Amino acid sequence: MNKKKKIDFKSVANVLLPLILALIIGTIIILCLGESPIVAFKALIEGAFKGKLKLGTTLASFTPLLLTTTAFIIAAKAGGFNVGVEGEVFLGGITAAYIGINWTFLPKPVLLIACFAGAIVVAALWAFIPAALRMYYNVSEVCTTILMNSVALYITNYLVSGPMSAGAANAQSDPVTVTLPQIMKPSSLNVGIFIAIAVTLLTIYVLNKTSLGMKIRMVGTNPANAEFAGINPKHTFIKAMMISGAIGGIAGAIEVLGVHGYFLNNFATGLGTNGMLAALIVKNNIVTAPAIAFFIAVLKSGAMGMQQATSVPKSLVDTITAVFIIFACMELIGNFRKSKKKTDEKQA
Amino acid sequence: MLNTNYVVEMKDIKKSFGSVHAVKNGQFTLRKGEIHSLIGENGAGKSTMMKMLYGMYPFDAGEVKINGKAYESINPKSAIEAGVGMVHQEFMLVNELTVLENIILGFEPKKGLTIDFDAARKMAQQYIDQYDMDVQLDKKISQISVGEAQRVEIIKILARGAEIIILDEPTAVLTPQEARRLFEILNNLKEDGKSIVFISHKLNEVMEISDRISCMRQGQYTGTVNKTETSPAELTKMMIGREVFLNIEKKTAHQGDVVLEVKDVWTSGEKEISKIRGISFDVKAGEIVGIAGIDGNGQSELIEAIAGLRKVEKGNVILDGTDITNKTVKQIREAGLTHIPEDRNTRGLNRAFTIGENLVEVELDKAPIKKGGIINKTAIAERAEEMIKKFDIRPADGQLPTSSLSGGNAQKVVVAREVNLGGKLLIASQPTRGVDIGAIESIRSILQDVKEKGLGVLLVSAELEEIMSLSDRIIVMHEGKITGRMKADEADEERLGLLMMGGHNAEEKGEHHE
Amino acid sequence: MELGKIFNSSLIYATFRSATPIIYAALCAAITQQADILNIGTEGIMLIGAFMAVAVSYLTGSWILGVLVAMVSGLVLAMVMAVGNIKFKSDICAIGMGINMFALAITKFLLNAWLGQSGTFMSPEIKSIPKVHIPGLSSIPVIGDIFNDWYITEWLVIVLIIVLWFVFYKTVWGLRLRAVGRMPLAAQTAGINVNAMKYQAIAISGLVGGLAGAHLSLGYSTMFVENMTSSRGFMGVAAMYFGGAHPVFTTIGCLVFGFTDSVGARLQANGVPSQLVLLMPYVVTIVVLAISMATKMSAEKKRKSSLVTH
Repeated sequence: MNKKKKIDFKSVANVLLPLILALIIGTIIILCLGESPIVAFKALIEGAFKGKLKLGTTLASFTPLLLTTTAFIIAAKAGGFNVGVEGEVFLGGITAAYIGINWTFLPKPVLLIACFAGAIVVAALWAFIPAALRMYYNVSEVCTTILMNSVALYITNYLVSGPMSAGAANAQSDPVTVTLPQIMKPSSLNVGIFIAIAVTLLTIYVLNKTSLGMKIRMVGTNPANAEFAGINPKHTFIKAMMISGAIGGIAGAIEVLGVHGYFLNNFATGLGTNGMLAALIVKNNIVTAPAIAFFIAVLKSGAMGMQQATSVPKSLVDTITAVFIIFACMELIGNFRKSKKKTDEKQA
Repeated sequence: MLNTNYVVEMKDIKKSFGSVHAVKNGQFTLRKGEIHSLIGENGAGKSTMMKMLYGMYPFDAGEVKINGKAYESINPKSAIEAGVGMVHQEFMLVNELTVLENIILGFEPKKGLTIDFDAARKMAQQYIDQYDMDVQLDKKISQISVGEAQRVEIIKILARGAEIIILDEPTAVLTPQEARRLFEILNNLKEDGKSIVFISHKLNEVMEISDRISCMRQGQYTGTVNKTETSPAELTKMMIGREVFLNIEKKTAHQGDVVLEVKDVWTSGEKEISKIRGISFDVKAGEIVGIAGIDGNGQSELIEAIAGLRKVEKGNVILDGTDITNKTVKQIREAGLTHIPEDRNTRGLNRAFTIGENLVEVELDKAPIKKGGIINKTAIAERAEEMIKKFDIRPADGQLPTSSLSGGNAQKVVVAREVNLGGKLLIASQPTRGVDIGAIESIRSILQDVKEKGLGVLLVSAELEEIMSLSDRIIVMHEGKITGRMKADEADEERLGLLMMGGHNAEEKGEHHE
Repeated sequence: MELGKIFNSSLIYATFRSATPIIYAALCAAITQQADILNIGTEGIMLIGAFMAVAVSYLTGSWILGVLVAMVSGLVLAMVMAVGNIKFKSDICAIGMGINMFALAITKFLLNAWLGQSGTFMSPEIKSIPKVHIPGLSSIPVIGDIFNDWYITEWLVIVLIIVLWFVFYKTVWGLRLRAVGRMPLAAQTAGINVNAMKYQAIAISGLVGGLAGAHLSLGYSTMFVENMTSSRGFMGVAAMYFGGAHPVFTTIGCLVFGFTDSVGARLQANGVPSQLVLLMPYVVTIVVLAISMATKMSAEKKRKSSLVTH
């Protein structure tokens, strides 16, 4: 484990430096808007943490984000770039809603499990499509998952305004008959957060300790070698993408069963992207990514408070976050290592 | 005034890649109109020296003069302008572009806004005629042979006005006969007043073609001699620092039953000439069968087809009585196949993983590595310790990523993993390519041991000397077919070379090429 | 529903009209793809172009200025991506997505903070790109219907397709660009500055991407809506894959999407649920992409097969 410590400084610096750069840019913009950065940042922090409601809201928005981050990372470990987590959240959500509304013949606890199981299956199958297209026809999964997000959005949109509509002005479904208990009222925080944490811990365990995890990491780093070692890179990649989809589905189910109690149109917009963002900032390090996911949740819910307390619009926070990620993608510190190692073997 | 007859002078050159000192003390001079060979074993720094002259790597310290002019730094563009041209070991040709497009790339003749292809063609044709080079200008690079591609490279640099021509191991991809053709071209170039640097580690070629010979060892310059005043023995000493006889005494083992049977196998190929069309042979327990051939004549494809990495389109592969045709890699490995692949960096190893993890990567589903779905780190550590000791892998730390290993030690990790599995058949594909002399010796003796233990060994190598010194039987391949089979003691370089070029084969004359 | 109402001569222009923004986006992606750079950031570059075009046209009353500023802003964003990818070694997909998120956020922010609007911005003071009216043409029955009154940028896209084809396959720059994309080492040893070529390709791509956005917000429509590109950039990337970055084949791919879109719009008018219509271009894109890649793969397989002789 002393191996880990050596790289720590560099990876920490590669997150902190972009963060500082992004904050400086944010400060300048806030000054340009004629506001005090200190007041704005204070409003942001208070908006995220002050009081049971605000803290609960932050944690509640952290819950799906943690899952989408984890989902993105497990696909990334197998070499996939799963932009489609968002679509998987939508479809997981709509499936959970459908089962939760209609399968009332099941006893409550069983129904709850059925909701999650349905969400997992549908979302995993949805993820199977781009994964298989990538493996068998070499279609870029980046492209297909982006496009499939729109398809998933329109499908759910159609369902809740048509066949599953509750008839309300807002496009939404009927309420589900089974819900996850809420734990920090009046916020929407619910026991889903424990599910999310458990799923993330399990994923970390699987990736780092199990034979399946090692195979996924082998395929992600060198598929030719994995194939040579008797691992089927295609199957492994598809498995990882389906697990990724399943985790996205769980996030959707939690949102429907825990937060809203029904399927609300467009509820997951931005969840997938933000999860991906958290993962990319720490270059898919599954241990530190949850911290970034939490940080983004704080920014999101704090931005609302900032907008109310000052004239700084909350879209500024999104902008700063995007600047942060652009810088974080770059290897601002110590990018000499890559080219060196490659040439070592070549020269002869 | 002293230096007027030198077109190139490189003095006290230093170059490191990270912590690896590739060149510690590089010295080189080139006279106008001479062929100067630069020799040394793999990793001695000879290619690196010349790549610095061509501006592909910057040099860290030292002095470089071309035609008397000192250069602070060089890039390929300024090197070309100074009249330096280089034929790289791996051809710098764009497969998807035509021969003509490749020739003019970087200094295209223009007519208004467009490229003047007529002028380009005229110019290229002139070189083709002048040196009698036989090149088809309108074919794409992917459609032509290796020999032809090499001629394209030579035209390419001549067309750029190169007066100083560097060839990096040009004969590695050629048959002895093709090499002789190349030498004729080189001699013609020399008569025209071009100065040539010839990088090689084949002493017989060097003795044939050179005027002067310089030698490097482990990044150090070890001297320059006139060809007429030296001998292969002296050159060997300069290269290695001691006298080495790689021709280890061939051991004979008890030959048992057939372990591998390849029956009329057809398989796809990256190029037309590397498609396998109807190959049959067998390997018995306790023997080494060597496959000789020029790189790219289907050896890689054949091996992949046997190992389950490429689809067999027709025919059968039988391993120890089990039909393994188109079975999964896992099933084939379970049937007893072990395999040292030709490309250790992409196929053989996962460079992001540790030595220990690489040593067990084929056993992830087996005890003691897997225990109830969990990877047993202790078992990996134990295995690593055992293998590091047994195969002398350095540095001796199983926790290091394999990306930090030298070529020879990385190859030892692959060899250790595969040999330790036991099995029935070991495929060793280019097992000593790009490794240092010490590792070559040990890997070759390991192959002998494996054979003595009663496994069948299928050896593929582009080095005729390796094939002849290790094999019991030799198979020669050309354009995806077998052109000859013989006992090792019936083989000589001349005969093998002829067969590698597709020369007469008594055995399979019933067939003909389409 | 009557098929005649859906499939008639005006469908030809409708197809081209809905395809044009995607063609621009696809060409934006094709330029970098020739240098082997996957321009996932097309979407964001286009979006920022769309916003700047509307904002500048609104504030200055000049559509030309709007288009030019849009192109420059596309260039700036593309250069961020170029520096990140080439100098700071960021993964092209990651930084491309970063660029997209940034464009989405900053256009929202500027819409709020600068123009004081949110969601949608429409104003009669936004000067749109003019149409080209050819007086004699309208008297010719079918041809007049199809070709008259095109926006300048709709004619321009045809010019751009031809120019790019010429540049890629007939000029020195194009040859070098293709060499850089297919084998950078070979280009480098031929004395070509590989990174300079990549920067140039991304820069031109940024200009085209900005123009794509300007056409979307000042030609195709005359307004700015948050996230108004709605995956057109990604569809462009998909079409580029379909056409192997060849300008003409890429355009054919875009026309397929344009066709689906226009037919969908007409189906919607005939009572098909709007969401199912809206998702059609995306599904078609995926299907077309899958088919084209599968075809390529089977051709490759056939080329390599030992059972076939060439």
